[in-house]
Amino acid sequence: MRPAAFEYHRAASIEEALSLLAEFGEDGRPIAGGQSLVPMMNLRLARPEHLVDINSLELDKIERTGDTLSLGALVRHERYFNEPLIAEHFPAFLDAAHWIGHPTIRRHGSLGGSISHADPSAELPCVCVLHDATIVARSVNGERRIPASEFFISAYVTALEPGEMVVAVELPIPQRKQHGAFIEIAERMGDFAVIGIGAVLELDGDTVLDARIACAGAELTPVRAASAEQFLKGRQLTEEVAQEAGQLFAQSVDPVNDYRSSAEYRRHLIVQLTSRTLMRAMKSKA
Amino acid sequence: MKAENPRQIGARVQRFEDVRLLSGVARYIDDIRLPNCLHLTFARSQMAHGRILDVDTSALEDIGYPTWVFTGKDIGDLSMKAHQDVPEMQYSEQPLLARDVVRFVGEPVAAVLAEDPYLSEDAAEMVFIDCDPLPVVGTMDQARDPSIPPIHDGWKSNVFIERQMKGGDLEAARANAAYVVRRTFRNQRQTGVPMECRGVVAQYSPGDRMLTVWSSTQMPHLVRTYISEELDLPESRIRVIAPEVGGGFGVKGQVFGEEVLVAWLAMKTQRPVKWIEDRRENLIASIHARDHAHTLEAYVSKEGRLLGLWADISVDVGAYSTFPFTAAGDPGMAAKVMPGPYDFQAYEATFRALASNKCPLGTYRGVARPSAVFSQERLMDEIAKEIGMDPIEFRLKNIIREFPYKNVLGFTYDPGSYAESLEKIREILADDIAAARETRHSKEKRIGVGLACFIEQTAHGTPDFTRRRVPIETGYIAARVEMQPDGTVVIGLGLQSHGQGLETTMAQVAADALGIDPKDVFVRHGDTLTSPYSVGTWGSRGGPLGGGAVHLASLKIADKLKAIAAHQLQSNKDQISLGGGKAYITDDPSRYIPIRTLARQALRNVENLPEGMIPGLEAEYSLDGPRDGTYSNAVHAAVVEIDVPTGKLKLKRFVVVEDCGTIINPLVVDGQVRGGVVQGIGSALFEHMIYDEQCQPLTTSFADYLMPLAPELPNIEVHHIETPTPLNPIGAKGLGEGGAIGPAPAIANAVSDALGVEVNETPLTLNAIWRLSAHIRGEAS
Repeated sequence: MRPAAFEYHRAASIEEALSLLAEFGEDGRPIAGGQSLVPMMNLRLARPEHLVDINSLELDKIERTGDTLSLGALVRHERYFNEPLIAEHFPAFLDAAHWIGHPTIRRHGSLGGSISHADPSAELPCVCVLHDATIVARSVNGERRIPASEFFISAYVTALEPGEMVVAVELPIPQRKQHGAFIEIAERMGDFAVIGIGAVLELDGDTVLDARIACAGAELTPVRAASAEQFLKGRQLTEEVAQEAGQLFAQSVDPVNDYRSSAEYRRHLIVQLTSRTLMRAMKSKA
Repeated sequence: MKAENPRQIGARVQRFEDVRLLSGVARYIDDIRLPNCLHLTFARSQMAHGRILDVDTSALEDIGYPTWVFTGKDIGDLSMKAHQDVPEMQYSEQPLLARDVVRFVGEPVAAVLAEDPYLSEDAAEMVFIDCDPLPVVGTMDQARDPSIPPIHDGWKSNVFIERQMKGGDLEAARANAAYVVRRTFRNQRQTGVPMECRGVVAQYSPGDRMLTVWSSTQMPHLVRTYISEELDLPESRIRVIAPEVGGGFGVKGQVFGEEVLVAWLAMKTQRPVKWIEDRRENLIASIHARDHAHTLEAYVSKEGRLLGLWADISVDVGAYSTFPFTAAGDPGMAAKVMPGPYDFQAYEATFRALASNKCPLGTYRGVARPSAVFSQERLMDEIAKEIGMDPIEFRLKNIIREFPYKNVLGFTYDPGSYAESLEKIREILADDIAAARETRHSKEKRIGVGLACFIEQTAHGTPDFTRRRVPIETGYIAARVEMQPDGTVVIGLGLQSHGQGLETTMAQVAADALGIDPKDVFVRHGDTLTSPYSVGTWGSRGGPLGGGAVHLASLKIADKLKAIAAHQLQSNKDQISLGGGKAYITDDPSRYIPIRTLARQALRNVENLPEGMIPGLEAEYSLDGPRDGTYSNAVHAAVVEIDVPTGKLKLKRFVVVEDCGTIINPLVVDGQVRGGVVQGIGSALFEHMIYDEQCQPLTTSFADYLMPLAPELPNIEVHHIETPTPLNPIGAKGLGEGGAIGPAPAIANAVSDALGVEVNETPLTLNAIWRLSAHIRGEAS
């Protein structure tokens, strides 16, 4: 459980980091908190020949520009809890943050790291898909802006090219007040979710004007609930309607089946948690 | 007037060793740093069962730094042998490095040494093991299938051993039964997971022909004996030291091939050799545990009296028999303890150890009793349900109340508090039982209460091991107590303390006998050079046998101190008492001599000793276990809350009522119980060593092998009843393992109570609970 040999480089600027990553191509990896990469290296499941340490780069800002909230790739998870703009505009994001790992992981782990690692059951990729985030990636060739829906390609596979790294995540600030929630089920607190569901609602009283629902842990990437979202529009949200939305969502996904959880159980959880998350989002209105 | 001597036995003394353990100055195996040391990494089998065609190490020739590599061809016939001396046993022998066949994933195949642990790990990766796959034995059904060839040459089947135990007239019990209740139970494969993995460092010093082996072990003397026999070295020229051991739980309670091999490598290379096990190795290739399947059939009278019990016990013990408890250890123990705390006199058990292409099974806290009690106590609830009786009432109706009690297999139980514990827990749980009843028809949230009542044979010694005919052979614990000229005391203890708090509890015992402060007693352990020969710490024996030995050795010194004091005070030694650091006339404490003065006289100013007395204050005592051991008892109770729609279980409450006889230190007892309960909760809910059909282990890191963490745990309430045993000099029974025995059956009974279904398997994961509650959701299960 010791990593294979690698060279360590500490980048002093984004330009230097990008130029190092360009030089190393597939053999280089940026490292920030190392919460996923270091264990994988110790197990020799990842064997980068070069690590580019980006911890000293100025990528840790949270700022609003017009209708966009931009979070730097180096924002550590524990900061989500103290950010009024997240609390005000992205309650589902805030709710999800409570489910991320343990305090140590939240202190060291970074937004860019979690997104780039793309674990199928992680909270933040799901939140990005839920909020229609844009992933900002840079390389020596310039900047690419990738919609979250196109960023996550498969388990641990993203749209990032060799030499490219995530520098920020942009969340569109909604025009109207939104209500949101995130609930997950895991064997133990802090484990990766068996199923996690995030929901965002725009409401007029109890009537749904707009809904977005996303799920972590069901498939190899986070999935949105197009049919359930459509179904909810214009409906009064009741327990029964929420259950029905859950059923619609569950029918539209093809959950993985592994030694820990059956596909059948995951499908069942999607129904239950979708319903609960919708009701929790609505109740957060009060 | 009488002097006030506060008793140390029973006092809440803060553990002396904690200062070192909690301040970061304790030295563990990896802290042993020797100059010129070579670091060992094993190339381990990635195939579960295969014939070795070639172990190709040629890539190491061009690696660019010095390496030393050894394979099965280089080590002669060095191996691990662990035979139970009975005719039914089929023997297995595990070469220290696999020679012709690999039999489980993780089996050591090549030893690769380099001057840095990173380099040896890189080099070990380049050893290419070419194997021809052989059919795997991965399930109990496969192990019993005669069409699948045995995994060991010359074997007739994949059954290590199959035997029977019986007592009384089971035919009569069957004939007289109004109810026959038969159930099958299954406990999963687990491992013990000490926080510190294993590790061995060895150094041979040719000058004094001394081999020193540091190992993270619970049994340094046995490691020494095995190395001596296998490497043909005199025991007097081998010193085995267990440094600080970061948890053992039974995992480190066997002698391992790695320990012998590292010693051999140090002699072969004439350099110190160090091997530090990593977590992956620890999970897949140290020792596994549990993996039991039991079918029980109980015969019950119309009035609800147990008449007899029939049992069929299978345990998947993996690829090899382990030293010193052998492949027969778990199944034999399960069969032996199955009668439990209940009064019936007809029993018959068939028990077998099945071989498979999995990591060998060894001892882990509780050893078979967590599984035996699971089956026993689940069955008690099932019978109660079938005959329409309250489960506590049914137990009380059958519980043993009169002692000594000779059980159906001829084991004699010393006095305990079986019925009182049940009564007490019923009182504690009254509100929970009522609350559970109110959720009986809920489709959302169910509450359940379950309990497990059990006894644990502890402090067993030589007679028990002789009956078992296993290579442990003996069971006494020795203590050597030496008072120094300044009146402080050094104890050389044959036990090894790896979390039990023995440096404190043994000091308390000695302090009472010697009338001194326990802070003045220094307990040395874990080093064969400074401790008398003993078999180590395991089996819930340390408190009673170690404590008893320390007590009796200390009394010998106390007797001498009294004789010296009587001589000086012109009294009779029967008139002298020891206490508060003084030897005083019992009826006139104003006449005294400080014990430190007496010690100085015994060791330095010896001219003051009574005529003819030999100088010195040193005594040794070896205490063996009573014929059948002593029986601790406990009731564990769990209150669970289940969210039916998701299967999420919350442990609301966990209560223990336990009786381990005399309590030496309540803080230590509570800590032992709570630690054991946490491991038992792991067995009940989370921990599962999973293999696929090709016998590849799937749960090879802590991301997959799940142990309970703080958020999953309730406050564990511990209540004590103290019934000192007449079979032990200080009245103590063992308690180290009991905490781990009760949780799985208590929690399973609570889940069964909540959901109204049979719960016959562990672990009770999210998926499992969800499946068990299908009927509540109106689905077919």
